[in-house]
Amino acid sequence: MDLELDRQSRDRVTMLAALGRDTLRPLGLEADRLGRPIPADHEFFASLVELGQGRTRWRPGHGSGGRESGQEAGRTGGTLAMICAVEEMSYWDRGVAVAFPGPGMGEAAIMGMGTEDQKQRFLGPFVEPDRPRWGSFAMTEPGAGSDTSAISTSCRRDGDDWILNGAKMFIGNASRADWIMVWATVDRKQGRGGHRAFVVEKGTPGLGNFKIEKKMGLKAYESTSFTLEDCCVPAANLLGGEQYYQSREGTRGALRTFNAMRPMVAAMAVGMGRAAQDEALIFARDNGLLDRTRVRDRFERIDRRLAAARLLAWKAAWLADKQLPNITEASMAKALAPAVALEAASLGMELLGETGARGDHLVEKLFRDAKAMDIVEGTGQVQRVIIARQLVDLPRS
Amino acid sequence: MIDFSTAPELELLRDTAARFASDHLRGNAREHESARGVTDAAARAWRDTGLGLLEFPGENGGAGLGALARVLVNEELGAADPGATLALDSSATGLYVSAIHPAQRVVVVCDLESRLTVAGGRLSGSLPWVPADEPAVVAVLSREGAAVAGAPKVLEILRGSGLRAAGASAVNLDGVEVLSQWSDRAAAATALARVRLYTASLLLGVMREACEYSRAYAVDRVVFGRPVAHHQGMAFMIADMAMAVEACRLLLHEAAWKLDRGDSDAAAVCARAFVEACEQSMFVTPSALQLLGGHGFMQDHPVEKFMREARTLSLMAGGVDAARDDGGAALVEAARVEVARTGGS
Ligand SMILES: Cc1cc2nc3c(=O)[nH]c(=O)nc-3n(C[C@H](O)[C@H](O)[C@H](O)COP(=O)(O)OP(=O)(O)OC[C@H]3O[C@@H](n4cnc5c(N)ncnc54)[C@H](O)[C@@H]3O)c2cc1C
Repeated sequence: MDLELDRQSRDRVTMLAALGRDTLRPLGLEADRLGRPIPADHEFFASLVELGQGRTRWRPGHGSGGRESGQEAGRTGGTLAMICAVEEMSYWDRGVAVAFPGPGMGEAAIMGMGTEDQKQRFLGPFVEPDRPRWGSFAMTEPGAGSDTSAISTSCRRDGDDWILNGAKMFIGNASRADWIMVWATVDRKQGRGGHRAFVVEKGTPGLGNFKIEKKMGLKAYESTSFTLEDCCVPAANLLGGEQYYQSREGTRGALRTFNAMRPMVAAMAVGMGRAAQDEALIFARDNGLLDRTRVRDRFERIDRRLAAARLLAWKAAWLADKQLPNITEASMAKALAPAVALEAASLGMELLGETGARGDHLVEKLFRDAKAMDIVEGTGQVQRVIIARQLVDLPRS
Repeated sequence: MIDFSTAPELELLRDTAARFASDHLRGNAREHESARGVTDAAARAWRDTGLGLLEFPGENGGAGLGALARVLVNEELGAADPGATLALDSSATGLYVSAIHPAQRVVVVCDLESRLTVAGGRLSGSLPWVPADEPAVVAVLSREGAAVAGAPKVLEILRGSGLRAAGASAVNLDGVEVLSQWSDRAAAATALARVRLYTASLLLGVMREACEYSRAYAVDRVVFGRPVAHHQGMAFMIADMAMAVEACRLLLHEAAWKLDRGDSDAAAVCARAFVEACEQSMFVTPSALQLLGGHGFMQDHPVEKFMREARTLSLMAGGVDAARDDGGAALVEAARVEVARTGGS
C-alpha cells in the first residue's frame, strides 16, 4: 500500500494552487458578488488558453476507439491524477473550474462514440484552440433529470438531416459553446434504447431561447436552459453515426460518461469542504476559539469525514485506472463527499456566527455552492439506488 | 389535565397572521428580498393587523399577549418571509429588553460573550452584522442586564446571506450614548429566553413551509414512473422532515406555555427548543432543496431561500452554542439537586 501522491501529481497540484489563489478564488468571489457568470470574453479565459488550458485530450490520428473513459480521464496519469487536479481547483473555486474553456463532458462521449470525422470536426478545434472555446453537454430537461430514460426532446430523420424539438435545462456553458451535445429520443417508449446524441453547433437555426438560470450558488459558470424548435441538424452530426445505435452499447454511451464523472464530482466536493474547513479554522484561530472543546469537536468531525470522503474518491479512481469494477465505490464517494462538504460549510457558518450572516465570507459562499454537489451527476438518492443494486439486488423500477 | 388545544382567541390571531402572510408576504418574498425591505402596501396592511403590538402592554395600545401567542403568530409569518417579518415587526424583540416605543427599528444584540462594553454612559465595540440597514436603536442584552442605545454608525451595507428583506449592515457603536440601562441576571435570562423563542418560532415557520412546499412538489413530480414522494427513500425523508417540524413545534409550545406561566425552568426549556429548531432546520431545509433536485438550486423556487433563511436565523439570538450551554447547565443543576435529595440512590 502507498497513499502518497506521485511527484508529477504533487507538482500539478502546486501549480494549480498558485493559479487558484491568484485567479480562481478572486474571480469566483467576484462572480458571486455580481450574481452573474464570468463573461465568455473575460480576459481570464484567453489567458488560460495561452497557458495551454482548454484543450482536448484527443490527438489526431490516435483515435482512442472504445477505450474506457475512466482510463482517458487524465492527461497526466489517469483518473487519480485528474481527481487530484479537480479537487485542488474546486478548493479555490468550483464554479470557476467548471467555467474553464474546453470540450467539457461531451469530450469523453465523442472520443468513445464518435466517428473519426466527428472527432476531427468537434475536438479538432480544441487541440490547439485559437481562442477560448467551450463544448456543452445537454441531457437534463424540465421534465426529466435523474431519470434520463424519460427525456422527451424528439429527433426525427428528414432526408440528410435530423429535426430536433424539445427543451433542455440547467446546461453548463450552453450559450457560449461552439457545440452542445444534445441527447434526444426517436421514441420515448423505447427508453434509453431510443436515445440519440447530436452535436448541435452554435447558430443552428431553431436552437435558441437561451436563458441563464439564477442559482443559489456556483454563479461563476452559466447553467442555461434553451429550446430546440424544428432544429435541423445534419445527419453527419449524429454522434457515432446511425449504426452505432443498433448495438446495445450505443444506448449506454451517456451513462458511461456519467460513471466516469462520479469520483471527479466527489473530489470536487472534498475540495470545497476543505476550503470551508480552512477558512473556518482561520476564523476560529483569529477569534481565539480554537481552545474550546466544542469548536475542536466540530473540526475533528469535519476533518475525519473529509478524510474518509477523499479516500473513497481516490479508491474509486484507482480502481478505474486499474480497469477494475468501481461502480459501488464511485457511487459511495459521490454520495458521501457532497454531504460532508455541506456539513463543513454549515458548521463553519455556525463558528462564524454573525460574520457568516453578512453574506460576504467564503464559508457562506461555500454553504450556497456545496448543495449542488449532491444534485449534479446523479443525486445522492440515485447513488444510493446504484449502491443498493450492487449490495441487495434492489429491483429496477 | 393535558390539553393540546389552543384557545379560540389565539386561533383567531393565528388566522389573522396567516391571512396577512398569504396576502402580503409569501407572493412578494423575492421582491422584498431584492428591495431589502417591504413594500409600502405591506407595511400599511401590517399596521392594520395590529400584530406589531402583540406583546406590548395594554396601556401602550398593545394587545398584552404572551409567548404562546407570539409563537403561533411567528410560525405563520416565518413560513411566509422571516426577513420581511423582522422589517415589519421592528420593535418586537426590543420590547423584551426595554420599555421601548413601538414601531422603532430596534435590533437586539445578544452579547453573551461581552464583545461590547459600556463605560461612562457610552458603548464601544462593533458588530459584524445586524439585520437592518439603518437601525434606529440598538438594545444590547448581556448575561447581566441590558443597555439601550441610539443609532449606531453604519460601517457598511451588506448583502446578507439570508433574511435579506430585513436589510443588513455592519455597525460601530463606539461613543454611542446609552439611553437606558439595567442589570438583573434573572430578568436578562428571561429576556434572552424570549428572544430565542421569537427566533425559533420564525425558524419553525421556515421549516414548515420548506416541508410543505417540497412535499407538494414531490407528490407532483414523477421520476422513474412514480411520484418522487412514492420512492420509499424519499417517503421516509418526508416523514422525518414532518416529524422534525412537529417535534420542534411542541417543544416551542411547551416553552411558551412555561414562559407564560412563569415557571422557574422556562428559560432552560426555551433554550432547548431553540437548539432543536436550529439543529433540525439544517436537516429540514437542505432536504427540502434536495427533494426538488436541480430545480431546488434555482431561484425560481423558494427552497434555496428557505435554506439561507434557516442558516441565518439559527446564527441569531446569541447562537446555538450558548443555548446548549444554558440548556445543559440547567439539566446538570437539576440532576445535582435530585442526587442531593435522594442521597444518590
Ligand atoms: C448547478 C447544476 C448544473 C447542472 N449542469 C448540467 C449540465 O451541464 N448538463 C445536464 O444535462 N444537466 C445538468 N444539471 C442537471 C442535473 O443533472 C439534474 O438536476 C439532476 O440529474 C437531477 O435531476 P432533476 O433536477 O430533474 O431532479 P429529479 O430527477 O426530478 O429528482 C427530484 C428528486 O427525486 C429524487 N429521486 C430521483 N430518483 C429517485 C429514486 N429512484 N429513488 C429515490 N429518489 C429519487 C432525486 O434525488 C431528487 O431528490 C445541472 C444541475 C445543477 C443543479
